[in-house]
Amino acid sequence: MMQRLIHILWPSFLVAGVADIVFTSLFDPLEIMYRGEPLIEQRIAAYTLGFFIFWLLGIASSMLTCYFQRGANEINRCPLPATRRPEGCPKREGGGDCC
Amino acid sequence: MAATDDKQASNEAPIEQQLYAIRQTIQARAVHGVFANWRIALVLLTQALYYGLPWISWDNRQAVLFDLAARKFYIFGLVFWPQDFVYLTGLLILSALSLFLFTAVAGRLWCGYACPQTVYTEIFMWVENWFEGDHIARRKLDASPWNAAKLKKRGLKHLVWFVIALWTGFTFVGYFTPVKTLAAEVASMGLGPWETFWILFYAFATWGNAGFMREQVCKYMCPYARFQSVMFDSDTLVISYDPGRGEPRGARSKKTDYKAAGLGACVDCGVCVQVCPTGIDIRNGLQYECIGCAACIDGCDQIMDKMGYPRGLIRYTTENAVKGKYPDQSIIRHILRPRTLIYTVLLGTIAAAFLYSLATRVPLRVDVVRDRVALSKETDDGLIENVYRLQIINKDNAPHRYTIGASGIPGLKVVSAGREIAAAPLETIDVPVSLVADPTDLKGRSIEVTVHIQAADDARIRDDVSTKFFNR
Repeated sequence: MMQRLIHILWPSFLVAGVADIVFTSLFDPLEIMYRGEPLIEQRIAAYTLGFFIFWLLGIASSMLTCYFQRGANEINRCPLPATRRPEGCPKREGGGDCC
Repeated sequence: MAATDDKQASNEAPIEQQLYAIRQTIQARAVHGVFANWRIALVLLTQALYYGLPWISWDNRQAVLFDLAARKFYIFGLVFWPQDFVYLTGLLILSALSLFLFTAVAGRLWCGYACPQTVYTEIFMWVENWFEGDHIARRKLDASPWNAAKLKKRGLKHLVWFVIALWTGFTFVGYFTPVKTLAAEVASMGLGPWETFWILFYAFATWGNAGFMREQVCKYMCPYARFQSVMFDSDTLVISYDPGRGEPRGARSKKTDYKAAGLGACVDCGVCVQVCPTGIDIRNGLQYECIGCAACIDGCDQIMDKMGYPRGLIRYTTENAVKGKYPDQSIIRHILRPRTLIYTVLLGTIAAAFLYSLATRVPLRVDVVRDRVALSKETDDGLIENVYRLQIINKDNAPHRYTIGASGIPGLKVVSAGREIAAAPLETIDVPVSLVADPTDLKGRSIEVTVHIQAADDARIRDDVSTKFFNR
């Protein structure tokens, strides 16, 4: 689980940093208009929020990667042996190979 | 041999998992020696630089300031604008190429001596050693139940860690907002929310990375560690155990003639494993976990001294030298090889181009925007007039006056409001300008024209921008 978490949070963190730097050097956040009004008033705030927005996008993408990474076998069959399945799992007892 | 391999394989898988989940804490034994001293020197040097640099002034302002709020980067006498992004790219390419070159020549020098992860881990381990004792005492403390003494030791350690982390976070933010203002804000408790957030965020990252994650950052999070092997070759200087000299390893008394007893120089004391911050056994050969800190060299040399054996059973050497293809003395001659030559030539060329471009940089930038309301109009004298807005950025540290000219149409004239065009140091000014031309000279609906902006006091400072001139 921890491994998954690192796989999701860390690459997206790195990409968010790069994306934030590239984006804010190309565009001045104070010049971003939304319906005729400046969207944000402080640059530091824009950089910070921008970073977290990019991070969230990266997290979403990494989560989907992890989600789609499961092979057909894992979806069809639970990878855990019957005895090691979490408590309350209906397939915990008397499983054999097939779930 | 097969049996040991099996044993290793069966041991490794659960450890790998544990390192992620409930990792076994590595309590590395402190080590003294040449390379440990090098590391201490580099820790002190890099940190004196990191903590000290924001406090140095230059031209009455902070010498190194990446002023994000004003979108200007100050590096000593130079000022960079967002339009100078190409220099940042150039700098990154130069850094990457230097890293490639260093790695090809001498392995993970960066990791072992200068990487912030190594440096802060080292500092945090000094603190840990100070409050909790050596690796044996620390392991005991880990195992002991919580009591007043443990609470005191752990509490003090974390307090000092926290102070260092906070100072690191403060310094980090001090590179992006003026550090003296920041210090005054901290002193008067008037710190803004964003600055507070980033100080705490960076402090928390320092504390977590150097206090807890440590070698896991290198093993699981560092991208460089993963692709280092493409920069290595058989002539790269790496930390290696010399199996030819060491094997067969085994315990023996100092007095034994180990050669007669059929043993190698390795006494199998395990010091090289105990001192390793990533917990590997260098005797198993080069591994991607090895950060090149050379702690095992120092540790092994101490043992070799005690045994009266020559040093260097574990040493900086190359794969080819260990294999006996050439003696250690001729490693230097193998530094020059196609790979390092290519890196050096690339690095030299890009560095030269970078410096040339920096030296000949014109501290002026002009953007031209057409007046959107009236594309073109006829004046009372029957001439055609186009109105533009010039955005003039004076990137210089000195004030300048400018003159404006235009070309592209015969008899094209610049009509400005008659006022002097002057910009203070680092100022951006907006100047309305109209260009006037005789309709008889105009061929076609729109004509490409060039506006020339020239500093009145310095012939080198000029910029030309193209725009369109519309006929009626």
